[in-house]
Amino acid sequence: MVNVDTPSSLGRPRGNPRVLYPLLDWDREVLVLGIESTAHTFGVGVASTKPPYILSSVRDTYRPEKGGIHPREAAGHHARVAPEVLAEALRVAGISMNDVDAVAVALGPGLGPCLRVGATIARGLAAYYGKPLVPVNHAIAHIEVGRLYTGLQDPVILYVSGGNTMVAAFAKKRYRVFGETLDVALGNLLDTFARDAGLAPPYIVEGLHVVDKCAEEATEPADLPYVVKGMDVSFSGLLTAALRAWQHARSKAEKASICLGLREIAYGAAVEVAERGLAHTKKNAVLLTGGVAASPILREKIGIMASYHSANAGWPPPPIAGDNGAMIAWVGLLNYLAEITINIDESFVRQRWRPDEVEVPWR
Amino acid sequence: MEITKELKPIHRGAEAYLYLIDWFGKKAILKHRLPKKYRHSKLDTLLRRRRTVAEVRAIKEALRIGVMVPAIYYVDPIEAIIVMEYLPYPSLSGIIEGGDLEKAIRASEQVGRYAAKLHEEGISHGDLTTSNVLVGDHVYLIDFGLASLHSTERDNAVDVHLFLRSLESTHPEHVDTVFRAFLDGYRSIRGEKTEKILGLVEEIRLMGRYKAERRTLWGQQ
Ligand SMILES: Nc1ncnc2c1ncn2[C@@H]1O[C@H](COP(=O)(O)OP(=O)(O)OP(=O)(O)O)[C@@H](O)[C@H]1O
Ligand SMILES: [Mg+2]
Repeated sequence: MVNVDTPSSLGRPRGNPRVLYPLLDWDREVLVLGIESTAHTFGVGVASTKPPYILSSVRDTYRPEKGGIHPREAAGHHARVAPEVLAEALRVAGISMNDVDAVAVALGPGLGPCLRVGATIARGLAAYYGKPLVPVNHAIAHIEVGRLYTGLQDPVILYVSGGNTMVAAFAKKRYRVFGETLDVALGNLLDTFARDAGLAPPYIVEGLHVVDKCAEEATEPADLPYVVKGMDVSFSGLLTAALRAWQHARSKAEKASICLGLREIAYGAAVEVAERGLAHTKKNAVLLTGGVAASPILREKIGIMASYHSANAGWPPPPIAGDNGAMIAWVGLLNYLAEITINIDESFVRQRWRPDEVEVPWR
Repeated sequence: MEITKELKPIHRGAEAYLYLIDWFGKKAILKHRLPKKYRHSKLDTLLRRRRTVAEVRAIKEALRIGVMVPAIYYVDPIEAIIVMEYLPYPSLSGIIEGGDLEKAIRASEQVGRYAAKLHEEGISHGDLTTSNVLVGDHVYLIDFGLASLHSTERDNAVDVHLFLRSLESTHPEHVDTVFRAFLDGYRSIRGEKTEKILGLVEEIRLMGRYKAERRTLWGQQ
Protein backbone atom coordinates (compact mmCIF):
# COMPACT_ATOMS: atom_id res chain seq x y z
CA MET A 1 0.00 0.00 0.00
CA VAL A 2 1.31 3.44 -0.91
CA ASN A 3 1.53 6.06 1.84
CA VAL A 4 1.65 9.62 0.61
CA ASP A 5 2.79 12.48 2.84
CA THR A 6 2.68 16.14 1.95
CA PRO A 7 4.05 19.19 3.78
CA SER A 8 0.67 19.70 5.40
CA SER A 9 0.22 16.07 6.50
CA LEU A 10 3.70 16.11 8.06
CA GLY A 11 3.35 19.44 9.83
CA ARG A 12 5.90 22.20 9.85
CA PRO A 13 9.46 21.22 10.85
CA ARG A 14 10.37 23.00 14.10
CA GLY A 15 14.05 23.28 13.26
CA ASN A 16 15.56 26.15 11.32
CA PRO A 17 18.28 24.89 8.97
CA ARG A 18 20.19 28.15 9.26
CA VAL A 19 20.52 27.50 12.98
CA LEU A 20 21.04 23.74 12.72
CA TYR A 21 23.55 23.96 9.85
CA PRO A 22 25.19 27.39 9.95
CA LEU A 23 28.08 26.17 7.79
CA LEU A 24 25.91 25.57 4.73
CA ASP A 25 24.67 28.12 2.22
CA TRP A 26 20.88 28.35 2.65
CA ASP A 27 20.52 31.18 0.14
CA ARG A 28 20.94 28.71 -2.71
CA GLU A 29 17.85 27.13 -4.20
CA VAL A 30 18.46 23.41 -4.29
CA LEU A 31 16.14 20.43 -4.75
CA VAL A 32 17.24 16.87 -3.97
CA LEU A 33 15.42 13.62 -4.62
CA GLY A 34 16.07 10.86 -2.07
CA ILE A 35 15.60 7.12 -2.33
CA GLU A 36 15.28 4.76 0.63
CA SER A 37 15.35 0.97 0.23
CA THR A 38 17.50 -0.40 3.05
CA ALA A 39 14.94 -2.84 4.49
CA HIS A 40 11.20 -3.39 4.08
CA THR A 41 10.26 0.14 2.98
CA PHE A 42 10.75 1.61 -0.45
CA GLY A 43 10.44 5.37 -0.20
CA VAL A 44 11.09 8.45 -2.29
CA GLY A 45 11.07 12.03 -1.02
CA VAL A 46 11.98 15.51 -2.18
CA ALA A 47 13.86 18.05 -0.05
CA SER A 48 14.40 21.75 -0.63
CA THR A 49 16.64 24.45 0.88
CA LYS A 50 13.49 26.57 1.20
CA PRO A 51 10.51 26.08 3.54
CA PRO A 52 8.73 23.74 4.05
CA TYR A 53 12.01 21.84 3.36
CA ILE A 54 10.34 18.47 2.83
CA LEU A 55 8.11 18.71 -0.25
CA SER A 56 6.95 15.12 -0.40
CA SER A 57 7.44 11.70 1.13
CA VAL A 58 5.96 8.64 -0.53
CA ARG A 59 6.55 5.08 0.58
CA ASP A 60 5.37 1.55 0.16
CA THR A 61 6.18 -1.05 2.79
CA TYR A 62 6.59 -4.74 2.07
CA ARG A 63 4.63 -6.85 4.53
CA PRO A 64 5.30 -10.57 4.38
CA GLU A 65 2.23 -12.81 4.73
CA LYS A 66 3.91 -14.69 7.54
CA GLY A 67 7.32 -14.93 9.14
CA GLY A 68 10.01 -12.29 9.11
CA ILE A 69 11.45 -10.25 6.30
CA HIS A 70 12.79 -12.17 3.30
CA PRO A 71 15.39 -9.89 1.72
CA ARG A 72 14.88 -11.18 -1.81
CA GLU A 73 11.10 -10.92 -1.68
CA ALA A 74 11.38 -7.43 -0.20
CA ALA A 75 13.72 -6.49 -3.04
CA GLY A 76 11.20 -7.82 -5.56
CA HIS A 77 8.51 -5.72 -3.92
CA HIS A 78 10.70 -2.62 -4.09
CA ALA A 79 11.40 -3.11 -7.78
CA ARG A 80 7.67 -3.50 -8.48
CA VAL A 81 6.49 -0.42 -6.58
CA ALA A 82 9.40 1.87 -7.49
CA PRO A 83 7.97 3.53 -10.63
CA GLU A 84 4.70 4.47 -8.95
CA VAL A 85 6.35 5.70 -5.71
CA LEU A 86 8.84 7.80 -7.67
CA ALA A 87 6.16 9.35 -9.90
CA GLU A 88 3.95 10.14 -6.92
CA ALA A 89 6.79 11.77 -4.95
CA LEU A 90 7.56 14.07 -7.89
CA ARG A 91 3.88 14.82 -8.46
CA VAL A 92 3.21 15.73 -4.81
CA ALA A 93 6.32 17.95 -4.79
CA GLY A 94 5.08 19.56 -8.00
CA ILE A 95 8.35 19.06 -9.84
CA SER A 96 9.86 16.95 -12.59
CA MET A 97 13.18 15.11 -12.67
CA ASN A 98 14.66 17.98 -14.64
CA ASP A 99 14.13 20.36 -11.70
CA VAL A 100 16.12 18.16 -9.35
CA ASP A 101 19.72 19.19 -8.59
CA ALA A 102 20.87 15.80 -7.30
CA VAL A 103 19.76 12.25 -6.64
CA ALA A 104 20.49 10.88 -3.16
CA VAL A 105 20.36 7.26 -2.12
CA ALA A 106 20.79 5.31 1.11
CA LEU A 107 23.77 3.07 0.35
CA GLY A 108 23.62 1.40 3.76
CA PRO A 109 23.41 0.00 6.32
CA GLY A 110 20.78 -2.52 5.33
CA LEU A 111 19.95 -5.73 3.53
CA GLY A 112 22.01 -6.31 0.39
CA PRO A 113 19.24 -7.20 -2.07
CA CYS A 114 17.06 -4.32 -0.88
CA LEU A 115 19.90 -1.80 -0.96
CA ARG A 116 20.78 -2.79 -4.50
CA VAL A 117 17.29 -1.94 -5.80
CA GLY A 118 17.50 1.63 -4.53
CA ALA A 119 21.09 2.03 -5.66
CA THR A 120 20.31 0.74 -9.16
CA ILE A 121 17.39 3.12 -9.56
CA ALA A 122 19.37 6.08 -8.21
CA ARG A 123 22.31 5.37 -10.50
CA GLY A 124 19.97 5.07 -13.47
CA LEU A 125 18.23 8.37 -12.71
CA ALA A 126 21.51 10.18 -12.10
CA ALA A 127 23.01 8.89 -15.34
CA TYR A 128 19.93 9.42 -17.50
CA TYR A 129 19.16 12.95 -16.26
CA GLY A 130 22.81 13.92 -15.81
CA LYS A 131 22.50 14.66 -12.09
CA PRO A 132 25.12 14.16 -9.39
CA LEU A 133 24.65 11.09 -7.20
CA VAL A 134 24.83 11.66 -3.43
CA PRO A 135 25.54 8.83 -0.94
CA VAL A 136 23.60 8.84 2.33
CA ASN A 137 24.02 6.79 5.49
CA HIS A 138 20.59 5.59 6.61
CA ALA A 139 21.22 5.99 10.36
CA ILE A 140 22.50 9.53 9.92
CA ALA A 141 19.41 10.31 7.83
CA HIS A 142 17.17 9.29 10.75
CA ILE A 143 19.15 11.57 13.05
CA GLU A 144 19.30 14.63 10.80
CA VAL A 145 15.67 14.59 9.73
CA GLY A 146 14.84 14.17 13.43
CA ARG A 147 16.82 17.31 14.20
CA LEU A 148 15.02 19.14 11.40
CA TYR A 149 11.56 18.23 12.69
CA THR A 150 12.27 18.68 16.42
CA GLY A 151 14.72 21.58 16.22
CA LEU A 152 16.96 19.88 18.81
CA GLN A 153 20.45 21.26 18.30
CA ASP A 154 22.66 18.62 19.89
CA PRO A 155 20.67 15.69 21.26
CA VAL A 156 21.52 12.22 22.43
CA ILE A 157 19.74 9.99 19.95
CA LEU A 158 17.76 6.86 20.75
CA TYR A 159 17.16 5.22 17.39
CA VAL A 160 14.80 2.26 17.71
CA SER A 161 13.39 0.38 14.75
CA GLY A 162 12.93 -3.10 13.38
CA GLY A 163 16.62 -3.49 12.64
CA ASN A 164 18.30 -1.02 14.99
CA THR A 165 18.51 -0.15 18.64
CA MET A 166 21.19 2.47 19.07
CA VAL A 167 22.26 5.24 21.40
CA ALA A 168 24.33 7.81 19.54
CA ALA A 169 25.54 11.37 19.97
CA PHE A 170 27.70 13.84 18.11
CA ALA A 171 31.28 14.05 19.42
CA LYS A 172 34.58 14.85 17.77
CA LYS A 173 33.20 15.44 14.26
CA ARG A 174 31.09 12.29 14.04
CA TYR A 175 28.00 10.59 15.32
CA ARG A 176 29.47 8.16 17.82
CA VAL A 177 27.70 5.00 18.85
CA PHE A 178 27.55 4.70 22.64
CA GLY A 179 25.24 1.73 22.91
CA GLU A 180 23.43 -0.84 20.82
CA THR A 181 21.51 -4.04 21.11
CA LEU A 182 23.68 -7.10 21.61
CA ASP A 183 21.20 -9.20 19.64
CA VAL A 184 17.59 -8.38 18.69
CA ALA A 185 16.39 -4.86 17.87
CA LEU A 186 13.49 -3.37 19.86
CA GLY A 187 11.05 -3.33 16.96
CA ASN A 188 11.99 -6.83 15.99
CA LEU A 189 11.44 -8.00 19.59
CA LEU A 190 7.92 -6.54 19.68
CA ASP A 191 6.99 -7.81 16.22
CA THR A 192 8.41 -11.30 16.71
CA PHE A 193 6.67 -11.70 20.05
CA ALA A 194 3.37 -10.41 18.65
CA ARG A 195 3.57 -12.76 15.68
CA ASP A 196 4.62 -15.88 17.58
CA ALA A 197 2.06 -15.21 20.33
CA GLY A 198 -0.67 -14.93 17.72
CA LEU A 199 -1.40 -11.26 18.43
CA ALA A 200 -0.39 -10.14 14.93
CA PRO A 201 -0.80 -9.38 12.08
CA PRO A 202 -1.93 -6.65 12.02
CA TYR A 203 0.87 -5.27 14.19
CA ILE A 204 -0.53 -1.80 14.71
CA VAL A 205 -4.14 -1.25 15.77
CA GLU A 206 -5.53 2.26 16.29
CA GLY A 207 -2.01 3.69 16.34
CA LEU A 208 -0.82 1.27 19.04
CA HIS A 209 1.42 -1.76 18.72
CA VAL A 210 -0.57 -4.88 19.61
CA VAL A 211 1.86 -5.59 22.48
CA ASP A 212 1.13 -2.12 23.92
CA LYS A 213 -2.58 -2.82 23.52
CA CYS A 214 -2.47 -6.25 25.12
CA ALA A 215 -0.53 -4.76 28.08
CA GLU A 216 -3.32 -2.27 28.79
CA GLU A 217 -5.38 -5.02 30.41
CA ALA A 218 -2.76 -5.76 33.08
CA THR A 219 -1.67 -4.09 36.28
CA GLU A 220 1.16 -6.39 37.38
CA PRO A 221 4.04 -7.00 34.98
CA ALA A 222 5.25 -10.59 34.68
CA ASP A 223 8.78 -11.21 35.93
CA LEU A 224 10.99 -11.53 32.84
CA PRO A 225 14.73 -11.02 32.28
CA TYR A 226 15.98 -7.42 32.15
CA VAL A 227 19.42 -7.15 30.57
CA VAL A 228 21.39 -3.92 30.34
CA LYS A 229 25.19 -3.98 30.03
CA GLY A 230 26.97 -0.68 29.86
CA MET A 231 24.88 1.25 27.34
CA ASP A 232 23.93 -1.94 25.51
CA VAL A 233 20.69 -3.87 25.79
CA SER A 234 19.98 -7.52 25.10
CA PHE A 235 16.48 -8.68 24.21
CA SER A 236 16.91 -12.28 23.05
CA GLY A 237 16.55 -13.77 26.56
CA LEU A 238 13.48 -11.62 27.14
CA LEU A 239 11.88 -12.79 23.90
CA THR A 240 12.46 -16.47 24.68
CA ALA A 241 11.22 -16.16 28.27
CA ALA A 242 8.12 -14.19 27.27
CA LEU A 243 7.16 -16.71 24.60
CA ARG A 244 7.71 -19.62 26.97
CA ALA A 245 5.54 -17.95 29.63
CA TRP A 246 2.89 -17.27 26.98
CA GLN A 247 2.66 -20.99 26.14
CA HIS A 248 1.91 -21.79 29.76
CA ALA A 249 -0.45 -18.89 30.38
CA ARG A 250 -4.05 -19.96 30.89
CA SER A 251 -6.06 -16.84 31.55
CA LYS A 252 -6.37 -13.63 29.64
CA ALA A 253 -5.10 -11.80 32.71
CA GLU A 254 -1.93 -13.88 32.75
CA LYS A 255 -1.31 -13.13 29.09
CA ALA A 256 -1.84 -9.42 29.63
CA SER A 257 0.71 -9.42 32.43
CA ILE A 258 3.25 -11.03 30.09
CA CYS A 259 2.63 -8.24 27.58
CA LEU A 260 3.05 -5.65 30.31
CA GLY A 261 6.24 -7.28 31.59
CA LEU A 262 7.67 -7.45 28.09
CA ARG A 263 6.75 -3.86 27.35
CA GLU A 264 8.01 -2.42 30.63
CA ILE A 265 11.29 -4.29 30.38
CA ALA A 266 11.89 -3.59 26.70
CA TYR A 267 11.00 0.11 26.83
CA GLY A 268 12.51 0.49 30.29
CA ALA A 269 15.86 -0.91 29.14
CA ALA A 270 15.87 1.23 25.97
CA VAL A 271 15.08 4.38 27.96
CA GLU A 272 17.67 3.44 30.56
CA VAL A 273 20.50 3.18 28.02
CA ALA A 274 19.42 6.49 26.50
CA GLU A 275 19.57 7.95 30.01
CA ARG A 276 23.06 6.52 30.44
CA GLY A 277 24.03 8.17 27.15
CA LEU A 278 22.60 11.47 28.31
CA ALA A 279 24.41 11.37 31.68
CA HIS A 280 27.64 10.29 30.01
CA THR A 281 27.69 12.91 27.25
CA LYS A 282 26.15 15.66 29.44
CA LYS A 283 23.98 16.81 26.53
CA ASN A 284 20.72 18.62 27.23
CA ALA A 285 18.31 16.96 24.82
CA VAL A 286 17.09 13.55 23.70
CA LEU A 287 15.85 12.69 20.24
CA LEU A 288 13.70 9.59 19.90
CA THR A 289 13.50 8.28 16.37
CA GLY A 290 13.05 5.15 14.23
CA GLY A 291 9.83 3.23 13.66
CA VAL A 292 9.27 2.44 17.36
CA ALA A 293 9.25 6.19 18.10
CA ALA A 294 5.61 6.00 17.02
CA SER A 295 4.78 4.36 20.38
CA PRO A 296 3.06 6.92 22.64
CA ILE A 297 4.10 4.86 25.64
CA LEU A 298 7.77 4.94 24.74
CA ARG A 299 7.54 8.69 24.09
CA GLU A 300 6.02 9.30 27.47
CA LYS A 301 8.82 7.32 29.12
CA ILE A 302 11.49 9.24 27.23
CA GLY A 303 9.85 12.48 28.33
CA ILE A 304 9.93 11.43 32.00
CA MET A 305 13.57 10.37 31.71
CA ALA A 306 14.57 13.67 30.08
CA SER A 307 12.87 15.63 32.87
CA TYR A 308 15.20 14.00 35.45
CA HIS A 309 18.10 15.65 33.66
CA SER A 310 16.38 18.95 32.80
CA ALA A 311 16.74 17.92 29.17
CA ASN A 312 14.38 18.50 26.26
CA ALA A 313 12.84 15.51 24.54
CA GLY A 314 11.52 15.36 21.01
CA TRP A 315 10.51 13.02 18.23
CA PRO A 316 9.51 13.56 14.62
CA PRO A 317 6.02 12.65 13.37
CA PRO A 318 5.73 8.87 12.78
CA PRO A 319 5.97 8.95 8.94
CA ILE A 320 9.28 10.83 9.34
CA ALA A 321 10.53 8.75 12.30
CA GLY A 322 10.12 5.47 10.39
CA ASP A 323 12.00 4.59 7.21
CA ASN A 324 11.20 7.03 4.40
CA GLY A 325 12.68 8.71 1.34
CA ALA A 326 12.36 12.27 2.65
CA MET A 327 15.09 11.75 5.24
CA ILE A 328 17.43 10.48 2.53
CA ALA A 329 16.56 13.53 0.43
CA TRP A 330 17.25 15.78 3.43
CA VAL A 331 20.73 14.40 4.17
CA GLY A 332 21.30 14.23 0.41
CA LEU A 333 20.67 17.98 0.40
CA LEU A 334 23.09 18.58 3.27
CA ASN A 335 25.73 16.46 1.57
CA TYR A 336 25.17 18.17 -1.76
CA LEU A 337 25.57 21.61 -0.16
CA ALA A 338 28.77 20.30 1.45
CA GLU A 339 29.91 19.08 -1.98
CA ILE A 340 29.77 15.39 -1.17
CA THR A 341 28.88 13.34 -4.22
CA ILE A 342 29.97 9.95 -5.48
CA ASN A 343 30.92 8.55 -8.88
CA ILE A 344 28.37 6.12 -10.19
CA ASP A 345 30.93 3.38 -10.66
CA GLU A 346 32.08 3.78 -7.05
CA SER A 347 28.60 3.81 -5.53
CA PHE A 348 28.72 0.38 -3.91
CA VAL A 349 26.14 -0.55 -1.30
CA ARG A 350 27.50 -1.01 2.23
CA GLN A 351 25.45 -3.43 4.28
CA ARG A 352 27.24 -2.67 7.55
CA TRP A 353 28.00 1.00 7.11
CA ARG A 354 28.21 2.44 10.61
CA PRO A 355 27.41 6.09 11.35
CA ASP A 356 30.77 6.63 13.05
CA GLU A 357 32.53 5.80 9.79
CA VAL A 358 31.13 9.00 8.27
CA GLU A 359 32.84 12.32 8.86
CA VAL A 360 30.04 14.89 9.22
CA PRO A 361 31.02 18.09 7.40
CA TRP A 362 27.94 20.15 8.15
CA ARG A 363 28.30 20.38 11.93
CA MET B 1 15.36 8.96 51.55
CA GLU B 2 15.50 11.50 54.37
CA ILE B 3 19.21 11.96 55.02
CA THR B 4 20.06 12.66 51.39
CA LYS B 5 17.59 15.56 51.27
CA GLU B 6 20.05 17.85 53.00
CA LEU B 7 23.07 16.83 50.98
CA LYS B 8 24.23 18.09 47.65
CA PRO B 9 25.28 15.35 45.25
CA ILE B 10 28.86 15.44 43.99
CA HIS B 11 27.83 13.37 40.99
CA ARG B 12 24.50 12.91 39.28
CA GLY B 13 24.84 9.70 37.31
CA ALA B 14 22.27 8.04 35.12
CA GLU B 15 20.98 5.76 37.84
CA ALA B 16 22.39 7.08 41.08
CA TYR B 17 23.27 10.25 42.95
CA LEU B 18 26.57 10.21 44.81
CA TYR B 19 27.17 12.21 47.98
CA LEU B 20 30.37 12.90 49.87
CA ILE B 21 29.62 12.26 53.54
CA ASP B 22 31.39 11.91 56.86
CA TRP B 23 31.44 8.33 58.09
CA PHE B 24 32.76 8.16 61.65
CA GLY B 25 35.40 10.74 60.87
CA LYS B 26 36.30 9.34 57.48
CA LYS B 27 35.20 10.76 54.15
CA ALA B 28 32.87 8.34 52.39
CA ILE B 29 30.72 8.07 49.29
CA LEU B 30 27.01 7.46 49.66
CA LYS B 31 25.51 6.04 46.47
CA HIS B 32 21.75 6.19 46.21
CA ARG B 33 19.98 4.51 43.31
CA LEU B 34 17.01 6.67 42.47
CA PRO B 35 13.51 5.49 41.62
CA LYS B 36 12.61 5.92 37.95
CA LYS B 37 9.03 6.70 37.06
CA TYR B 38 9.53 5.55 33.48
CA ARG B 39 9.53 1.95 34.66
CA HIS B 40 6.67 0.12 36.35
CA SER B 41 7.20 0.64 40.09
CA LYS B 42 7.40 -3.08 40.81
CA LEU B 43 10.10 -3.60 38.20
CA ASP B 44 11.94 -0.48 39.28
CA THR B 45 12.04 -1.47 42.96
CA LEU B 46 13.26 -4.93 42.04
CA LEU B 47 16.03 -3.61 39.79
CA ARG B 48 17.36 -1.07 42.26
CA ARG B 49 17.53 -3.64 45.04
CA ARG B 50 19.04 -6.28 42.85
CA ARG B 51 21.74 -3.93 41.59
CA THR B 52 22.57 -2.67 45.06
CA VAL B 53 23.08 -6.22 46.26
CA ALA B 54 24.96 -7.23 43.11
CA GLU B 55 27.33 -4.30 43.52
CA VAL B 56 28.18 -5.16 47.12
CA ARG B 57 28.62 -8.86 46.45
CA ALA B 58 30.82 -8.32 43.41
CA ILE B 59 32.98 -5.81 45.27
CA LYS B 60 33.45 -8.33 48.06
CA GLU B 61 34.53 -11.00 45.56
CA ALA B 62 36.82 -8.57 43.77
CA LEU B 63 38.55 -7.74 47.03
CA ARG B 64 39.05 -11.42 47.75
CA ILE B 65 40.92 -12.02 44.48
CA GLY B 66 43.08 -8.90 44.62
CA VAL B 67 41.20 -6.51 42.39
CA MET B 68 41.26 -3.03 43.95
CA VAL B 69 37.80 -1.65 44.70
CA PRO B 70 36.29 0.75 47.25
CA ALA B 71 35.70 -0.83 50.68
CA ILE B 72 32.03 -1.17 51.57
CA TYR B 73 30.99 0.45 54.87
CA TYR B 74 27.23 0.01 54.80
CA VAL B 75 24.45 -1.25 52.59
CA ASP B 76 20.67 -0.84 52.64
CA PRO B 77 19.11 -2.85 49.81
CA ILE B 78 15.58 -1.62 50.58
CA GLU B 79 16.54 2.03 50.14
CA ALA B 80 19.10 1.07 47.47
CA ILE B 81 21.94 2.79 49.32
CA ILE B 82 25.60 1.88 49.61
CA VAL B 83 28.18 3.73 51.68
CA MET B 84 31.71 3.06 50.52
CA GLU B 85 35.29 4.24 50.77
CA TYR B 86 35.97 7.59 49.13
CA LEU B 87 38.62 7.29 46.44
CA PRO B 88 39.70 10.83 45.55
CA TYR B 89 41.10 9.97 42.14
CA PRO B 90 40.37 10.92 38.54
CA SER B 91 38.75 8.43 36.19
CA LEU B 92 40.66 6.73 33.38
CA SER B 93 38.40 8.65 31.00
CA GLY B 94 39.61 11.92 32.52
CA ILE B 95 43.23 10.83 32.26
CA ILE B 96 42.94 9.95 28.59
CA GLU B 97 41.17 13.22 27.79
CA GLY B 98 43.72 15.11 29.91
CA GLY B 99 46.42 13.79 27.61
CA ASP B 100 48.52 11.72 30.02
CA LEU B 101 48.66 8.81 27.64
CA GLU B 102 51.51 7.03 29.38
CA LYS B 103 49.56 6.88 32.60
CA ALA B 104 46.44 5.84 30.73
CA ILE B 105 48.27 2.98 29.06
CA ARG B 106 49.68 1.71 32.34
CA ALA B 107 46.24 1.91 33.95
CA SER B 108 44.58 0.13 31.03
CA GLU B 109 47.03 -2.73 31.29
CA GLN B 110 46.02 -3.06 34.93
CA VAL B 111 42.33 -2.92 33.98
CA GLY B 112 43.04 -5.78 31.57
CA ARG B 113 44.62 -7.80 34.39
CA TYR B 114 41.70 -7.02 36.69
CA ALA B 115 39.12 -8.00 34.09
CA ALA B 116 40.97 -11.26 33.43
CA LYS B 117 41.15 -12.09 37.16
CA LEU B 118 37.43 -11.43 37.55
CA HIS B 119 36.64 -13.50 34.48
CA GLU B 120 38.75 -16.39 35.75
CA GLU B 121 36.48 -16.41 38.81
CA GLY B 122 33.30 -16.27 36.75
CA ILE B 123 32.64 -12.63 37.54
CA SER B 124 31.73 -10.15 34.82
CA HIS B 125 31.64 -6.43 35.55
CA GLY B 126 28.78 -5.51 33.21
CA ASP B 127 29.76 -1.86 32.74
CA LEU B 128 33.47 -1.90 32.07
CA THR B 129 34.15 1.58 30.68
CA THR B 130 36.85 4.19 31.12
CA SER B 131 34.51 6.14 33.46
CA ASN B 132 34.33 3.25 35.88
CA VAL B 133 38.06 3.06 36.47
CA LEU B 134 39.67 5.39 39.01
CA VAL B 135 43.42 5.94 38.83
CA GLY B 136 45.53 6.90 41.84
CA ASP B 137 48.67 5.14 43.08
CA HIS B 138 46.64 2.04 42.39
CA VAL B 139 43.98 1.38 39.81
CA TYR B 140 40.43 0.83 41.13
CA LEU B 141 37.33 -0.60 39.51
CA ILE B 142 33.97 0.86 40.58
CA ASP B 143 30.28 0.68 39.66
CA PHE B 144 29.56 -3.07 39.87
CA GLY B 145 25.75 -2.78 39.82
CA LEU B 146 25.46 -4.76 36.57
CA ALA B 147 27.97 -7.43 37.61
CA SER B 148 27.25 -11.14 37.48
CA LEU B 149 28.86 -13.71 39.76
CA HIS B 150 28.10 -16.55 37.37
CA SER B 151 29.40 -15.19 34.13
CA THR B 152 29.70 -17.17 30.94
CA GLU B 153 32.58 -16.57 28.53
CA ARG B 154 30.10 -14.61 26.47
CA ASP B 155 29.37 -12.30 29.41
CA ASN B 156 33.11 -11.91 29.83
CA ALA B 157 33.48 -11.07 26.16
CA VAL B 158 30.79 -8.41 26.56
CA ASP B 159 33.02 -6.75 29.20
CA VAL B 160 35.88 -6.61 26.70
CA HIS B 161 33.52 -5.31 24.02
CA LEU B 162 32.23 -2.59 26.37
CA PHE B 163 35.73 -1.44 27.22
CA LEU B 164 36.67 -1.30 23.56
CA ARG B 165 33.48 0.54 22.68
CA SER B 166 33.95 3.12 25.38
CA LEU B 167 37.30 3.86 23.74
CA GLU B 168 35.73 4.06 20.28
CA SER B 169 32.91 6.36 21.32
CA THR B 170 34.66 8.59 23.81
CA HIS B 171 38.36 8.44 22.96
CA PRO B 172 38.45 7.60 19.25
CA GLU B 173 41.99 8.95 18.82
CA HIS B 174 43.47 6.47 21.27
CA VAL B 175 41.61 3.25 20.58
CA ASP B 176 44.58 1.28 19.27
CA THR B 177 47.18 2.07 21.92
CA VAL B 178 44.90 1.89 24.92
CA PHE B 179 43.12 -1.27 23.85
CA ARG B 180 46.42 -2.96 23.07
CA ALA B 181 47.56 -2.25 26.63
CA PHE B 182 44.32 -3.65 27.99
CA LEU B 183 44.81 -6.82 25.97
CA ASP B 184 48.41 -7.18 27.11
CA GLY B 185 47.20 -7.10 30.69
CA TYR B 186 44.35 -9.46 29.98
CA ARG B 187 46.57 -11.92 28.17
CA SER B 188 49.15 -11.91 30.96
CA ILE B 189 46.53 -13.56 33.20
CA ARG B 190 44.31 -15.54 30.83
CA GLY B 191 46.87 -16.53 28.18
CA GLU B 192 45.38 -18.72 25.46
CA LYS B 193 41.82 -18.08 26.57
CA THR B 194 42.21 -14.51 25.39
CA GLU B 195 41.92 -15.55 21.75
CA LYS B 196 38.66 -17.31 22.45
CA ILE B 197 37.33 -14.18 24.16
CA LEU B 198 38.39 -12.06 21.20
CA GLY B 199 36.58 -14.43 18.87
CA LEU B 200 33.44 -13.97 20.96
CA VAL B 201 33.92 -10.20 20.95
CA GLU B 202 33.98 -10.25 17.17
CA GLU B 203 30.90 -12.43 17.14
CA ILE B 204 29.05 -10.05 19.47
CA ARG B 205 29.97 -7.14 17.24
CA LEU B 206 28.66 -8.90 14.16
CA MET B 207 25.46 -10.09 15.84
CA GLY B 208 23.19 -7.16 15.15
CA ARG B 209 21.96 -6.90 11.61
CA TYR B 210 24.12 -3.96 10.71
CA LYS B 211 27.18 -4.38 12.87
CA ALA B 212 30.67 -3.41 11.81
CA GLU B 213 32.56 -5.43 9.29
CA ARG B 214 35.15 -7.71 10.82
CA ARG B 215 37.71 -5.41 12.37
CA THR B 216 41.33 -6.36 12.72
CA LEU B 217 42.16 -4.23 15.72
CA TRP B 218 43.21 -7.21 17.76
CA GLY B 219 44.86 -8.87 14.77
CA GLN B 220 48.24 -8.78 16.48
CA GLN B 221 47.30 -12.20 17.95
N1 LIG C 1 34.22 5.27 45.87
C1 LIG C 1 34.32 6.38 45.14
N2 LIG C 1 35.21 7.33 45.43
C2 LIG C 1 35.32 8.46 44.71
N3 LIG C 1 34.57 8.72 43.63
C3 LIG C 1 33.65 7.82 43.26
C4 LIG C 1 33.47 6.60 43.98
N4 LIG C 1 32.50 5.91 43.40
C5 LIG C 1 32.08 6.66 42.35
N5 LIG C 1 32.76 7.81 42.25
C6 LIG C 1 32.59 8.87 41.23
O1 LIG C 1 31.23 8.98 40.89
C7 LIG C 1 31.00 8.58 39.54
C8 LIG C 1 29.73 7.76 39.42
O2 LIG C 1 29.81 6.60 40.21
P1 LIG C 1 29.15 5.22 39.74
O3 LIG C 1 29.71 4.88 38.43
O4 LIG C 1 29.30 4.25 40.85
O5 LIG C 1 27.61 5.65 39.66
P2 LIG C 1 26.60 5.64 38.42
O6 LIG C 1 25.28 6.10 38.85
O7 LIG C 1 26.68 4.35 37.75
O8 LIG C 1 27.17 6.80 37.57
P3 LIG C 1 27.30 6.84 35.99
O9 LIG C 1 25.93 6.79 35.47
O10 LIG C 1 27.98 8.17 35.79
O11 LIG C 1 28.15 5.67 35.63
C9 LIG C 1 32.24 7.83 39.15
O12 LIG C 1 32.48 7.91 37.77
C10 LIG C 1 33.31 8.53 39.98
O13 LIG C 1 33.72 9.71 39.35
MG1 LIG D 1 29.68 4.76 36.46
